[in-house]
Amino acid sequence: MMMTYLKLDAVAKRYGSVRALRDATFSVGAGEIVAVLGPNGAGKTTALEIALGLRAADAGTATLFGGSPKSLAMRRRLGATPQLSGFPDALRPREIARAVAAHYPDPADVDETLAAFGLAALANRRVGDLSGGEQRRLAVALAFVGAPDLVVLDEPTTGLDVESRRALWDRIRALSGGRRAVLFTTHYLEEAETSATRVVVIVDGAVRFDGTPASLRERFGVRRISYIGPDGPIDIATGDTDDYVRTLVHSGVAFRDLEIATTSLEDAFVALTESPR
Amino acid sequence: MSAARLVLAHTRLMLLDLMRSPAYVIPTVVFPSMFFLIFAAPNARQAARADFVTLSFVAFAIIGVTLFQFGVGIAAERGRPWERYLRTLPAGPFVRFAARIACALAFGLCAAALVTITARLTTPMDLDAMQWLRLAAFACAGAIPFVLFGIAIGYWVSARAAIPIANIFYLLLSFAGGLWMPPRYLPGFAASISPYLPTRQFGELLWSIVGAGNAAHALPSLAVYSLIFAILAAIGYRRDERTRYA
Repeated sequence: MMMTYLKLDAVAKRYGSVRALRDATFSVGAGEIVAVLGPNGAGKTTALEIALGLRAADAGTATLFGGSPKSLAMRRRLGATPQLSGFPDALRPREIARAVAAHYPDPADVDETLAAFGLAALANRRVGDLSGGEQRRLAVALAFVGAPDLVVLDEPTTGLDVESRRALWDRIRALSGGRRAVLFTTHYLEEAETSATRVVVIVDGAVRFDGTPASLRERFGVRRISYIGPDGPIDIATGDTDDYVRTLVHSGVAFRDLEIATTSLEDAFVALTESPR
Repeated sequence: MSAARLVLAHTRLMLLDLMRSPAYVIPTVVFPSMFFLIFAAPNARQAARADFVTLSFVAFAIIGVTLFQFGVGIAAERGRPWERYLRTLPAGPFVRFAARIACALAFGLCAAALVTITARLTTPMDLDAMQWLRLAAFACAGAIPFVLFGIAIGYWVSARAAIPIANIFYLLLSFAGGLWMPPRYLPGFAASISPYLPTRQFGELLWSIVGAGNAAHALPSLAVYSLIFAILAAIGYRRDERTRYA
């Protein structure tokens, strides 16, 4: 039986007349890397805010390590990232990391953590002088510096180029596993595909899918067929490629460069989030 | 991980951030001594007069630190993503608040010390040991309503508006309170409202150290101000908590 770190159970939340979450149920357990996906405004941020103890649920329950996310004792096992461009400019990475580490009973070594995220040479620079990518790395390093059991990363790679994103994920994965669990949101489905052990898709304030990236692909995947026909290139998505090809061949239409693409998580995600409830 | 260690960590971070910001350090720490040197020192030729104006400018310096540290500081920070991040850390709201008080104490001490050093160097100002002790105690006590006033500004006013608003209150109330020139020289309207201002009562409290002010009246007046500002601050704080973190 896997130890559950975080559990949202039928959580609902509204801001005035806006319903941010209506039924969010999912959990994160030891050793997992869980991606929370969903279109903008679907309720991902609200779900994370409730998990972090920043906001309280209107209905349903959120439990962190079996207690309330607002409780200090529970949050001592939790590490999170500051949002984009959130640092006081005049401070230095080592100063910030040391202050953050001071909150935890058994933190990681500050310099080792900074080094793990490629910040060793920048530890004593002004944060305001760091590039956007370096600030992102610092933000993620802060989530790990307390050596927490649960790490929550809100869009850790937003604004980074492909190479930096991959490098950052290599570092995150290297520090994950074992007891530690990671919960993250992202706009890059490729990150969920390569790094997540489980994917939770939130649409319109409710969890629409909860399973492995592979199962998401299988259930909502559509294969793509492309070829060059008499009127130019054709590229379509279809549930039954076999049937499509059979019909195409029988029709006698001239075609070349027939390709059947394996479905991507992105396609599955689009199919899922755009499908009616 | 004890509360004291956390307060220390946050105080350190806040101090480093403030110390490296000239826009904060110069107006709060340097300006009161500079104003003293320009406006007060030339007229303070006798010891009694020098003591009086020095005490006035100590009050002025402390009010500046409290209004900027709490008013401008809280207004600027409460909406920042950084503040939101700090709230995810395992530390209660008390920790951050205690750090802010510690920083205000440090900066208030610097600003007040600079005024008294300037006074010692340029005027015949001279207090005995007992008077210095009373000054330290009265300065801390008299700062309380202004800390609360600052917190109220911080929670009621936007980050953009906080700087001009804090400045207007700071300068006008200091002037009308008789901190720049002794109350008997104030022009008509300022003289008529002066006795009702918290700045005037803070002045009276400090002036009482050299027998020139009425502490028996100043202390209860400052207590009443503290109560009013505390209520305003509490309402503002709750409102902010409700909208941001409910």
